[in-house]
Amino acid sequence: MRQILRQHELGLDPWRYPGEAGSGPQLLTLAQLLAAAPLLPAGVGVYMEPTDDVQQLAGVIDKMALIVVHFEKNGDGRGFSQAQLLRQQLRYAGELRACGALKRDHLYLLARCGFDAFDLDPTEDRGAALAQLQRFSVAYQGSSGTLVQPRLRTQA
Amino acid sequence: MYRYDEFDRTFLAERVAEFREQTRRFLAGELSEDEFRPLRLRNGLYIQTHAPMLRVAIPYGLLDSRQLRMLAHIARRYDRGYGHFSTRQNIQYNWPKLAEVPDILADLATVDMHAIQTSGNCIRNVTADHLAGVAPDELEDPRPWCELIRQWSTLHPEFYYLPRKFKIAVTGAATDRAASEVHDIGLHLVRGADGITGFEVLVGGGLGRMPIIGKRIRSFLPQQELLAYLEAILRVYNRHGRRDNIHRARIKVLVKALGVPEFTRQVEAEYAASRAGAPRLEAAQIERMRAFFVAPAYRSLPDEDPTRAGAAPGGGAPSVSAAFIAWYRHNTRAHKVSGYRVVLVSLKKHGEPPGDMFDAQMDALADLADRYSCGQIRVTHDQNLVLADVAQTELTALHAALEPLGLATPNIGTLTDMICCPGLDFCSLANAGSIDVARQIHEQFSDFDYLYDLGEVQLKMSGCMNACGHHHVGHIGILGVDKHGEEWYQITLGGSASGQVALGEVIGPSVAKARVATTIARILDVYVERRNSSEESFLQAVRRLGVAPFRERVYAADTAAA
Repeated sequence: MRQILRQHELGLDPWRYPGEAGSGPQLLTLAQLLAAAPLLPAGVGVYMEPTDDVQQLAGVIDKMALIVVHFEKNGDGRGFSQAQLLRQQLRYAGELRACGALKRDHLYLLARCGFDAFDLDPTEDRGAALAQLQRFSVAYQGSSGTLVQPRLRTQA
Repeated sequence: MYRYDEFDRTFLAERVAEFREQTRRFLAGELSEDEFRPLRLRNGLYIQTHAPMLRVAIPYGLLDSRQLRMLAHIARRYDRGYGHFSTRQNIQYNWPKLAEVPDILADLATVDMHAIQTSGNCIRNVTADHLAGVAPDELEDPRPWCELIRQWSTLHPEFYYLPRKFKIAVTGAATDRAASEVHDIGLHLVRGADGITGFEVLVGGGLGRMPIIGKRIRSFLPQQELLAYLEAILRVYNRHGRRDNIHRARIKVLVKALGVPEFTRQVEAEYAASRAGAPRLEAAQIERMRAFFVAPAYRSLPDEDPTRAGAAPGGGAPSVSAAFIAWYRHNTRAHKVSGYRVVLVSLKKHGEPPGDMFDAQMDALADLADRYSCGQIRVTHDQNLVLADVAQTELTALHAALEPLGLATPNIGTLTDMICCPGLDFCSLANAGSIDVARQIHEQFSDFDYLYDLGEVQLKMSGCMNACGHHHVGHIGILGVDKHGEEWYQITLGGSASGQVALGEVIGPSVAKARVATTIARILDVYVERRNSSEESFLQAVRRLGVAPFRERVYAADTAAA
């Protein structure tokens, strides 16, 4: 089990990522999920790669208990748009977790885009990372994860 | 101009604190170079040939006098007493110490300045017409829109790690003075059917290795939709732009790969689908922003030609000097208000690196701006400064003050008013030097009567194919290339950044460094011999004649010499 940073605490997580052995529920890849879609039980989890189109989850979004978005390498920002789309257009309200090449310096941006759980680089200091969520007390633009009231307002 | 409030200052203070901590972690070995790089780049900090280079943002090229004095202070306190104004209206310092950069940023913040997003793969400083608000040919002042874009793009959480850098330019006048068609997004204020202004939207322009003129994807966007539409463009780009090859990662490559119709369809679909959550600009918000840019209280002054000052009514010589008359003709421009003139402050003194300015010059110019031009200064994309609101009656006094500062070289619009990147002397990307070639050209063309006879010639020079010097859109373009460890220069002719925007055509094999200026001289000889009349500009002549006669002259001479 891995340590996951949720909004204000560290927690243990039972989910197994694709390819991981052990007990606990298994995250599906997008392809596996779509193949199983007609008979999908509620409470499943999916592991999205940067190239995956989140719009393909539209038909099954109500069955999702967990969506993990993988940031393959430092500097690849596709996951930020995936999160915004999941929150704003697909209206996903469950746990949205970022994993991969992520340091504390990404945390504020991730949270602003709607991520509420963070599986950071194993070398990163989780406690120091948590403080990053309070790094900025103001924000210019609205986004999915409203940490503070933005100056430029968004449509309801 | 826009005035920071508590909100902006709080944000800036928190940003400086964040970077101070990141710098500390890097210096303490807690962050690797690879981890620190994207963080420092988004705070304007490059690692260059000799030292770090700090690029400070000058949003849409607008400064007030206290900000210019701060730029002088930074040059003096942390650098070697000068700064370099860039083609994106920013200023670069070439010798800061990494450990001191957080202090520099803190100093900048005291005058509401920063270096946020001046580099890195994110939305960069938004640029605009340097004559915004004073140009006679202007439909609407673009700066309120620029400031809205600046705020929207600052630390936008979704678009902070784009495939590549992203540049936006906004113009509101008939003449494009911001090179908007060679930006990732070019926005033109246009009037809609109901008389209300909105935007024409161009996407995918750019220079670099693959120069392309921007393609229009919207002929009219209602003004309140601006940020929502930008967000749709950026989202399509962030999701689908290439990330596998740095040279294929700009939005222009995506536009080309999809084709303009399909790219436009995707943007429009995203724009329609993302109505919820998209930024909404309310009328009150737009008006509030416009109020920051209202015209100063101009005096009621007659329109009088100051070059005729002191002349007797029936003839007789004016009392002003020939130097003033040359400066007035070349370094001032029409102002929309009677009795006023726009003054271009030349940073192209012969023998000096184009765009460079010493701290003492900055301080002195700040004082002159306070005295003669409402305390504001603008930076042009061709690396000069502007005092935009000078009464015609005060032009002689201003000229007399600028001249001893070395800021009155009467060469604006002439060949020696060239754009020039820092080149191999400073930049780690460059293949060849630019500054010493500029000096060579200044030496070759020291006769101002000859320069004036040539009329407008835009010479633009880049030390490598990244094209910071915009060589593709120079009437004469010079590109530094590396040939087996030697510096050579490729010449293009016929480019233009405004009006009928065009990319220059290569005339032939590159020339050796020592022969750049003499090659330019041969090209200009052809123009002088072949122009229809003194009315036909260099660019018009190149368009009429094609590059062939120029090529023949340049390379025929080589054969004769061999």
